[in-house]
Amino acid sequence: MIAKVLVVAKWEYLEKVKSKAFLIGLFLMPIIMVGMGLFSGLLAAREDTSTKVIGVIDASGDLAGPLGQRMEQKYLLSNKQPNYLIRELSVGKGIDLDSAVARANQLTVADEIGGYAVVSSHGAPDTVVEYRSKAVGDLLIAARLEETLKSIIAEQRARARGIDPAVLKDLNANLDVRMVKLSQAGETEESGFLKVYMTAYVFLMMLFMLIVTSGQLLVRSIIEEKSNRIVEVLVSSVSSTELMAGKVLGLSGLGFTQIAFWALIGTAASLEFGIGFVALDNALLLIVYFILGYLFYAAIFIGVGSPLTTEQEAQQVTSYLVILLIVPIILAMPAMKDPGAMWLKILTFIPFLTPTMMALRIPIQMPAAWEIVATIAIMLVSIPAAMVAAGRIFRIGILSTGKSPKIADIIRWARKG
Amino acid sequence: MLAVRNLRKDFATIRAVDDVSFDIGRGEIFGLLGPNGAGKTTAIRIVLNILEADGGTITYDGRPFSGALRNQIGYLPEERGLYRKSKLLDTILYLAEIRGMKRAKARDEALRWLRRFDLLTYQERKVEELSKGNQQKIQFITSIIHDPVLVVLDEPFSGLDPVNQILFQEALRELKQAGKAIIFSTHQMDQAEKLSDTLCLINKGKVVLGGTVRDVKRRYGSNSLHVEFQGDGSFMKSLAGVRRAMIYENAAELDLAPDARIQDILKAMIGKVEIRKFELLEPSLQSIFIETVGIPAGGTMLQGAA
Repeated sequence: MIAKVLVVAKWEYLEKVKSKAFLIGLFLMPIIMVGMGLFSGLLAAREDTSTKVIGVIDASGDLAGPLGQRMEQKYLLSNKQPNYLIRELSVGKGIDLDSAVARANQLTVADEIGGYAVVSSHGAPDTVVEYRSKAVGDLLIAARLEETLKSIIAEQRARARGIDPAVLKDLNANLDVRMVKLSQAGETEESGFLKVYMTAYVFLMMLFMLIVTSGQLLVRSIIEEKSNRIVEVLVSSVSSTELMAGKVLGLSGLGFTQIAFWALIGTAASLEFGIGFVALDNALLLIVYFILGYLFYAAIFIGVGSPLTTEQEAQQVTSYLVILLIVPIILAMPAMKDPGAMWLKILTFIPFLTPTMMALRIPIQMPAAWEIVATIAIMLVSIPAAMVAAGRIFRIGILSTGKSPKIADIIRWARKG
Repeated sequence: MLAVRNLRKDFATIRAVDDVSFDIGRGEIFGLLGPNGAGKTTAIRIVLNILEADGGTITYDGRPFSGALRNQIGYLPEERGLYRKSKLLDTILYLAEIRGMKRAKARDEALRWLRRFDLLTYQERKVEELSKGNQQKIQFITSIIHDPVLVVLDEPFSGLDPVNQILFQEALRELKQAGKAIIFSTHQMDQAEKLSDTLCLINKGKVVLGGTVRDVKRRYGSNSLHVEFQGDGSFMKSLAGVRRAMIYENAAELDLAPDARIQDILKAMIGKVEIRKFELLEPSLQSIFIETVGIPAGGTMLQGAA
């Protein structure tokens, strides 16, 4: 019994490890991960190492001067040189904004300035300022410009009403909100929004790729065995249970190969580039959900794939499953905004979503202990149930050829066995 | 070795196998015949425990099917294929191993068969690089490599060129000599006539004819005698065992009764006429089966090329 399961598992593993689809999945994921890392690196504020020249076009004539002064004084590089040099490009009432902007664009494109701010109107109640540069992700400069301009405008308005700017400074709290994520042990750890987002995202993508690539390999191999009738030789050699167990086992080996390979690359990358992942301390728990999700979806793919007869149908069906898997990726943003939301919890308890939802939630905010226990319990019940149902469908489905059976038939198989 | 009794299998709307019984002993080749869609493949699948029967019993050496039996069965399905992207030797070894063969033994046997079928140089090639005939040889190897007791071959000769047909027939006879019980299904009557010891004709799920080839011919055939001679042949119509006679100038066609004694007829003729040719015309299985099954409107069913 076991010997034959192992023979099947070994075959499935070795033949699929060599397949193109697997190799693509294997290398695509790290590329996506590295891509994400680069992307977040672009977005994330990096300290400048040399002075940046920023242009100013000011149609009011009141802001450019104080802006330049303050920016140059307030923000310094580590070598005490000013981080920014403000170059007044065109300042004063009645300037020709269009031609000034055109000229500034040329300067920016020629890299003479890193970017420029345009004050197109200034007065009560609104001041309109635009920051233009080649890199849209220049969030740090935009934020600093905004902060500086705000204080200048506030002081100007205070002065206009006869209030001493010093009083204003007193009134204004010097606020510095830092994002600190509490880890399980109650330790604190500074973490940026992006870091959390990217970590959750990377883990979701990993789980997604893992399930989709091996699921597709599984379905494709079943369909091939059906179309060349090898399946008849197989089920006359081993029982359908042995065959299915062998396939699941071989596929799991495939999944572990994938994870191990990714982990290796990930560790190497984080050692090399110093990229840390927020959720690394939860890695063990995440792996538990990875395994549970993997096994659950293996059963689903077998149940859904074995009655199919053509590659086209297989692609169609796997794309439906992909939608199920992709749900948490779509929800990543709202989940970050409100990690304790009720709807998130409810979705987590649907077995089809449990593993992916957990892969999303754990890096963002550790769910309560009862939730973890309950969801693992749900998966531990769902997996054997899904396997039994899949086994019943598999036994009949692998021998059905020609027209694919109706969904009602498949449900009947799953029930009756 | 195999005893099938009153086998029945229903699919949604049709009864695919209806009260089918037959026996196969060791060292015996059993031909399962019938037109396309007669129920041959369904019956075979039930024997192989791929499908469950709705009625009837099958025993193997007197025992019902058990998991251990899987290692003693060899099977060549009708519609054939292999893993296209896999290597030849790997595929053979896999299919041998799931029949419980040890890998080292399987390798020795695989190489021996590959050599015999002149495919040794292809062992590391992918299956899809092989011609169809060569792929069929590989499938044949996988169905017998593990030295099974019961060999089931569904349409083994379809699509084979004459040279390979002879190769397969030789291999089958060897298996027979080695004491295997062999089932092969076919709709080519000449193959069945040449190879099988016993046979069974199925039509629309039912057994129409069964028994040894000789039995079938004797029971259902009307033997006729073709004689060419010089002299007066008019006495021939009154010979014992002759049912009907057509006498011509120098030849005669005699229809014989089933119990006719050919030797006596020949003796009676000698001396009366000078015999040039004395030929017993046995009916072919083909004609028996066409007579039994009938030819459906629009085509020959027993010689269907499918």
